[in-house]
Amino acid sequence: MYVELKNINKHFGNFKASDNVSFGIEKGKLIGLLGPSGSGKTTILRMIAGLENPDSGEIIIDGKVINNVPASKRGIGFVFQSYALFRYMTVFENIAFGLRVLKKSENEIKERVAELVKLIGLEGLENRYPSQLSGGQRQRVAFARALAPNPQLLLLDEPFAAIDAKVRQELRHWLKEMIAKLGVTSIFVTHDQDEAIEVADEIIITNKGRIDQIGKPLDVYSKPKTAFVASFFGQPSIFKDYNKFHSFDTIPNVDQAIVRPEFVKVTKKNEVQKFKNSAEEGVVTDVAFRGSGIEITVLVNGETLTARRSFDEPSISVGEKVDVFIYRLFVTVGNYAFLLENKSIREPIVVI
Amino acid sequence: MYKETTSSKIVKWSLIGISIAFVVLMLLLPLITVIAEAFKQGFDIYAKAVSDNYTTKAIWLTLEATLLAVIINTVFGLSAAWSLTKFQFKGKKILTTLIDLPVTVSPIIAGLIFLLTFGRQSPIYPLLQDWDIKIVFAVPGIVLATIFVTFPFISRELIPVLEARGNDEEEAAALMGAKGWTIFRKITFPHIKWAFLYGVVLCAARAMGEFGAVSVISGHLRGKTNTLPLHVEILFNEFQYVPAFAVSSILVMLAIVILIARSVIEYRGRKKI
Ligand SMILES: Nc1ncnc2c1ncn2[C@@H]1O[C@H](COP(=O)(O)OP(=O)(O)O)[C@@H](O)[C@H]1O
Ligand SMILES: [Mg+2]
Repeated sequence: MYVELKNINKHFGNFKASDNVSFGIEKGKLIGLLGPSGSGKTTILRMIAGLENPDSGEIIIDGKVINNVPASKRGIGFVFQSYALFRYMTVFENIAFGLRVLKKSENEIKERVAELVKLIGLEGLENRYPSQLSGGQRQRVAFARALAPNPQLLLLDEPFAAIDAKVRQELRHWLKEMIAKLGVTSIFVTHDQDEAIEVADEIIITNKGRIDQIGKPLDVYSKPKTAFVASFFGQPSIFKDYNKFHSFDTIPNVDQAIVRPEFVKVTKKNEVQKFKNSAEEGVVTDVAFRGSGIEITVLVNGETLTARRSFDEPSISVGEKVDVFIYRLFVTVGNYAFLLENKSIREPIVVI
Repeated sequence: MYKETTSSKIVKWSLIGISIAFVVLMLLLPLITVIAEAFKQGFDIYAKAVSDNYTTKAIWLTLEATLLAVIINTVFGLSAAWSLTKFQFKGKKILTTLIDLPVTVSPIIAGLIFLLTFGRQSPIYPLLQDWDIKIVFAVPGIVLATIFVTFPFISRELIPVLEARGNDEEEAAALMGAKGWTIFRKITFPHIKWAFLYGVVLCAARAMGEFGAVSVISGHLRGKTNTLPLHVEILFNEFQYVPAFAVSSILVMLAIVILIARSVIEYRGRKKI
């Protein structure tokens, strides 16, 4: 493991911002630290960078415990959520700052800055001040500035939070590409699940100062281990009594059932559906067009569920009676989450 | 824009009229009077009054006290503003409140405080005598009193500016290995420069014009502990009106220079943002 946190605890006054945080990161990976706002992501990043000291626990980078190494000596690149560009310096001077501190020669500095400016595609804007740049351009400059001294580890705090949706999409891909190209081990913080899933090689999920789950994006998405992770992703419908829907095993002590849109199949009464026999009747309460398809809200057995249909399926209108079939759902018992499949999927289909 | 009605026009112009009349009556007229009175008996008399030995001494003393007050309050103002905005420590609230004390305390009281602290009645007076240090009725007393009354000006300009922005530019620089002094010089100072200069100007203006505190502690020794405002008072009390106005005109001119400096700083400072 290149970066390792062992049993890190951190308090701010009485507030526990990090609760026994442990994880390891392999060299060259791009890691997403994902969790709701206030779950302690920034705190973890700041402790790795040396801007905060943990109350207890060890931070290890490249085999060395670095708790007592000052921030300035850790050689970590940091991209702040606010970018923290030096507002009285030009783009060139911003990127050159770390190199000047290292007392590089003027030629070396010019070369390296030119290289980075080219990398971030801002040629010709070297003499602009941060206030004369767009959000996306500032973000790139912050990225280049952090990379200039060739850090072995790059930390990015909500790198896309302050950028409008369209540019954000582009920048995500750009950043992923850049980091892959440079091979620098990186940790980025986000509260946006789509962002983490799209960009990260591996996701670490924070919840109330704890680490809930670590894994590949697909794994944390489809195999949540805790109640929190199960309900964090997707657009879950959450209700208590899942036994209203038949064909599910009954488990004792279930707190909640969590149903994601892709777990639900909504069909018109006259449409063919494989599991028609175990479907239940619902009433459509809302139909909304989304970029990716049509989102349908149905009231079934007293619960509101969300499902998706594609544009080329026959259209459904509000108030229509439809068949609703739930393929699977998560149930939570205490802090744990389990997946339950609809049993009728496994039963031989009997056509009468 | 809404259309101006006749009545709103009347309101507009009478308000503007009142303001102008007030400025003329209260500010411009007295200033013109000072200059006019100073030159009443011709330029030669004016020149003589201004180049009088006691007057030049008073000018130098005023400039000396002002310069020292600005330098010392710069050091203090920067450290106070920095520590109050960047660190958390016990007694922070008290320090913030204390900084404003000189503004709320009457200058006469300030003078008396120094008189009592360093004068004959003071328990440390024998000590000062042993070391041959003169404070009361001497230049150090004047300087101390001036520093006291101008004490909050620089820090009070800096604190809001430093507070308005977080630490992250400094943190970013520190992460790249920059040392404290480099960070201050390259990151923090450019940010506070205009507020700082503005504070310096205010501090200088107040230092030059200070009368009350300095009056108490100076002892009015002509040619020794007389600053310009004190000198004006003495001349006036001796019915030497032309010299009194002549010396006043120097203060007026210094004030105008400061006013211009202030406008320039404000203008440039605003443009920078
Ligand atoms: N310097 C600080 N002083 C006091 N509380 C803090 C400080 N930094 C963070 N916190 C608290 O710790 C919690 C976690 O903060 P943070 O790590 O910034 O969360 P996130 O980045 O996940 O939104 C928040 O409730 C925040 O109020
Ligand atoms: Mg944060």
